Amino acid sequence: MHLIKIFGSLLIIISSSSLGLIYSRRFRDRVNNLKLLYNCIQLLETEIVYSANPIPDALDAVYRKGNKRVSYVFKDIKEYLISNRSFTLLDSFLNASETLKERMYLENEDIEVIMSLGRSLGASDRMDQQKHFRTALVQLQAQQRDAEEKKDKNVKLYKSLGVLIGFATVIILY
Amino acid sequence: MNVQMNSNFTKRKIPLNDNSFYRVIEYLDPLLCNLMSRISKSEIDRIEEIRLRAEKPLMVCMEGVDFYVTRNSKLTEENIDSYIVSTDNIAKTFQILCNYSIYSIEKELKNGFITIKGGHRIGVAGKAVYGSSGIETIKDISSLNLRIARQKIGVSNKLLKYVIKKPNTIYHTLIVSPPQCGKTTMLRDLIRSISNGVPRYSFRGIKVGVVDERSELGGLYRGLPQNDIGVRTDILDGCQKYDGIMILLRSMSPNVIATDELGDSQDIKAIHEAIKAGVKIIATVHGEDIKDICTKPNLREIVNEKIFERIIILDNSQGVGTVRDIIDGKSYKSII
Repeated sequence: MHLIKIFGSLLIIISSSSLGLIYSRRFRDRVNNLKLLYNCIQLLETEIVYSANPIPDALDAVYRKGNKRVSYVFKDIKEYLISNRSFTLLDSFLNASETLKERMYLENEDIEVIMSLGRSLGASDRMDQQKHFRTALVQLQAQQRDAEEKKDKNVKLYKSLGVLIGFATVIILY
Repeated sequence: MNVQMNSNFTKRKIPLNDNSFYRVIEYLDPLLCNLMSRISKSEIDRIEEIRLRAEKPLMVCMEGVDFYVTRNSKLTEENIDSYIVSTDNIAKTFQILCNYSIYSIEKELKNGFITIKGGHRIGVAGKAVYGSSGIETIKDISSLNLRIARQKIGVSNKLLKYVIKKPNTIYHTLIVSPPQCGKTTMLRDLIRSISNGVPRYSFRGIKVGVVDERSELGGLYRGLPQNDIGVRTDILDGCQKYDGIMILLRSMSPNVIATDELGDSQDIKAIHEAIKAGVKIIATVHGEDIKDICTKPNLREIVNEKIFERIIILDNSQGVGTVRDIIDGKSYKSII
């Protein structure tokens, strides 16, 4: 009888801690993904400002050269763009915003930085494009700092919360 | 086995004109593309230009005559029920043409035209924006002129016996023609034949350097010629004639240099340099005939110096590319 109780309590504590751990991961992932996306945007900048490659090719190159953990989103954007000639570049970026939110754990402000880039991409000469890239990269860095702060605050919080709730549940039950 | 080889060779000679039109309309706004694709096949093969003008009827140019395109994809000479092109059609078409990337065609836009895959030239008109070094860009695009490039293989065959100089070189040749009479097509085919060789005349083929200032001859797209311009041909794309000729002389050791549309004094200077180096020249010039050329200041020089040994006059009298006359450049007598 006691054995089963102990076993059950352990299960509850372990599962609740795991839930806490899993939930805290998203903060860590956001930090990493922002860093990787920053690199991807830098790659995109090189493709466009220095090599003057057209957008579909530039997006492809970023997909190939970037870290696959995040660069697949650029492939998605390119595929969407060329799938239908009436789509604009902005449409394709907007289409990717869901992926950015759900699968990369980005926040709305992070996504907005990328969407603004998508609005002005391809619509002016290289000098002007570079300005938009600079802006986007600076903003992404600010978002990275924000993500770091949130991570420091929240990772410990949710891990502890997970364990504590586990214990609390056990105590309440018995 | 010999029979099979021969029939393959014949097949290759037939130009695949169908594809050019369809490839070009793929760059149009999907609405327009749909409309144009439903034009009758027999007319499609003869269309040379598609003209989009904002808030004006959609028109095409076929063998020198222009037609309105109706909303039912019929070509008419009357402006009745013609499809009116909207600014949106033009904006969307331009987006597709520049592949969503205006910066990638920056340089080309300064010259007012873009070359797309296949060597087709798209002329752009709108509001010119000036920067510190001349025209920076064209915005608010109001007109697009899509010129369908069709390579015609074999059109220069009848000229070969006059141009080739045994055993293995050619005469300095000048092609004179009014606009839209096929001089670029003729030049392209002449280059191809000279470069590949003509077994019929025991002519082995010699090295040709081409200065393709307006990307029309080779139709280079991402470095690959979209037209068959010959196995011994080197092309400098988008290069001004003087620069191009000097570069080719230094780098490609050509036997022949070919270029389109001679016009200003720099071009003439370059031709002199090439001749000094022992290179043969094939060039074209706008004009009706020799008298007409003499009225143009820079060109008069060429005629008077008797540089060109063969002068070919083209016109439109029996269709595009009719050879009206071939003149010996020294005696100014007709030799056909």
